[in-house]
Amino acid sequence: MDLLQIGSYTFSSRLILGTGKFSNSRVMLEAVRASGAQLVTVALRRFNREQAEDDLFAPLSSIEGITLMPNTSGASTAAEAVRAAHIARDLSGSPFIKVEIHPNPQHLMPDPIETFEASRILAKEGFLVMPYIAADPVLAKRLEEVGCASVMPLGSAIGSGQGLATSEMLNIIIRESGIPVIVDAGLRSPSEAAHAMEMGCEAVLVNSAVAAAGNPPVMAEAFAEAVAAGRKAFRAGLMEKSGSAVATSPLTFLGTF
Amino acid sequence: MKTLPDWLTDNPDTAALANMLSPESSRPVEELAAESRAITLRRFGRTMTLYAPLYLSNYCSSGCAYCGFASDRQTPRHRLEPDEIRRELAAMKKLGISDVLLLTGERTAAADFDYLQRSVAIAAEEMPRVAVEAFPMNVNEYRTLANCGCTGITIYQETYNRERYEELHRWGPKKDFIDRLETPERALDGGIKSVGLGVLLGLSDPVEDALCLYRHVRHLGRKWWRAGISVSFPRMRPQTGGYEPPFPVNDHLLARIIFAFRIALPDTELVLSTRESATFRDGMAGLGITRMSVESKTTVGGYDETDNLKDKRDKGQFEISDDRTAREFCAALRHQNIVPVFKNWEPAYNGPSATIHHERDADRSASTITPETETCH
Repeated sequence: MDLLQIGSYTFSSRLILGTGKFSNSRVMLEAVRASGAQLVTVALRRFNREQAEDDLFAPLSSIEGITLMPNTSGASTAAEAVRAAHIARDLSGSPFIKVEIHPNPQHLMPDPIETFEASRILAKEGFLVMPYIAADPVLAKRLEEVGCASVMPLGSAIGSGQGLATSEMLNIIIRESGIPVIVDAGLRSPSEAAHAMEMGCEAVLVNSAVAAAGNPPVMAEAFAEAVAAGRKAFRAGLMEKSGSAVATSPLTFLGTF
Repeated sequence: MKTLPDWLTDNPDTAALANMLSPESSRPVEELAAESRAITLRRFGRTMTLYAPLYLSNYCSSGCAYCGFASDRQTPRHRLEPDEIRRELAAMKKLGISDVLLLTGERTAAADFDYLQRSVAIAAEEMPRVAVEAFPMNVNEYRTLANCGCTGITIYQETYNRERYEELHRWGPKKDFIDRLETPERALDGGIKSVGLGVLLGLSDPVEDALCLYRHVRHLGRKWWRAGISVSFPRMRPQTGGYEPPFPVNDHLLARIIFAFRIALPDTELVLSTRESATFRDGMAGLGITRMSVESKTTVGGYDETDNLKDKRDKGQFEISDDRTAREFCAALRHQNIVPVFKNWEPAYNGPSATIHHERDADRSASTITPETETCH
């Protein structure tokens, strides 16, 4: 069976869902169920022990077969992200941590320096570190070297719906990476998710595209199907594009050189 | 007299916003609303972050013509003591509030920096997010507040028209236009993570003020690139003193200003308080506004119904318009398919912003990353 493997964990679904931005937790849970996602990310800042209705952790914990991947969204330095990771692990019991450090709260672009530092520390401490990064092939390798469980480069800016604007860099990251590459952020449509999977991503993460859709649960299902189709196509091996043409008949008639 | 900074007078990138705000704009307000709605949905989803103000004190040393707490107003003066603050916060928590804005008047002996700092520290023990709207401070004071758990500072310029500003601020420390203008910069230098800007609509030409406000946001965003910036759109409300705004802003213009800001600043938090009516707030939810106050009291305290101020309560800084309870307001949001978010911050992220760390050791670990400065006491 074709499983997504992260650390010692395996998942049959290659769609990871973000849980913010939904109109209520009922719709969010319906979308999670419809997506078949087994790994979902949730912001520590949306954990609310004072008010159950406001809290995203408890309802997600109630779904069977879901592994929580808390994220540090809101942190602007490595130190803050490390503190948040410790709290998140205590609350969720999950070894996964999505390191999200975007010091500029306006555009939410990840800080490569702080992200590297936090990831290095947390990987050493035994977390399964999933850093959200710009599509930077060198940074991706540096994060692999310090023990990250995956890298999560952005397709385009969070919430922009600009799709795989970084595809050239993503191709390099995928080609070079020894750990799973998961495209995170910027996707708008299932076809873009399928495209990412065809490129060789191990998984994709979507949030806005589902939460801001007219019918989030149905859109979640559409993404799940697209991701599965894209993965299947990748494994089947895509036909070469024209421009990198190969002869349809092998040149065996020429004999050995 | 200090001259105005270049960014305020000589900033070329306001043409698109000016075009949207102009009364002769070629873009109908419906078209702006549709674009603003789409941007808001993509960027912020179906969420509304909620907060509530807590007036710590209404002592004041300034003479703002438009304010119910100006030092010449005949209104009972009071400040909350630590145990009262705790009771007010407990009452607010019962409403679900976890994001509080602490307010005072201009600096006075009754409510000075030490008082404010102690109050912030108390609030930070109870609430995940604490912001302050008080008097301008120096960089060290802001750093101390950040260390005490203050995440954000709200400081409205009120109007960017210097002549109008001089007229309206009749006496007191707030009379210094440039000092006020530079206050957000000092807050950010001190490690405060986010600043809230705004103009008090009604005091001066609203379109001119909106353009200057935009320039201010852009200036801060370029130089203090880590700063969270939010923009509020307070309109003058009836208040003790009876000041009548000479440039009243109607609902249509306010809506146009909000939509235009969302389009010009797609990622910026836009705030609307209970100054506005329930109808206007419900209408603007989802169309551009991403943060709202809820069940606000503009009196000193006022959430704790067991307090002993009933007979000597002040009339508040201004009258609120949307007087729905938090529960009612949240129901209205949900009815519009928008989720009320009470907690959208984590105390693990408190402490001075990294802007103060210009140089760092290349080889550091989490345990060595500590704030450099005055601790909270």
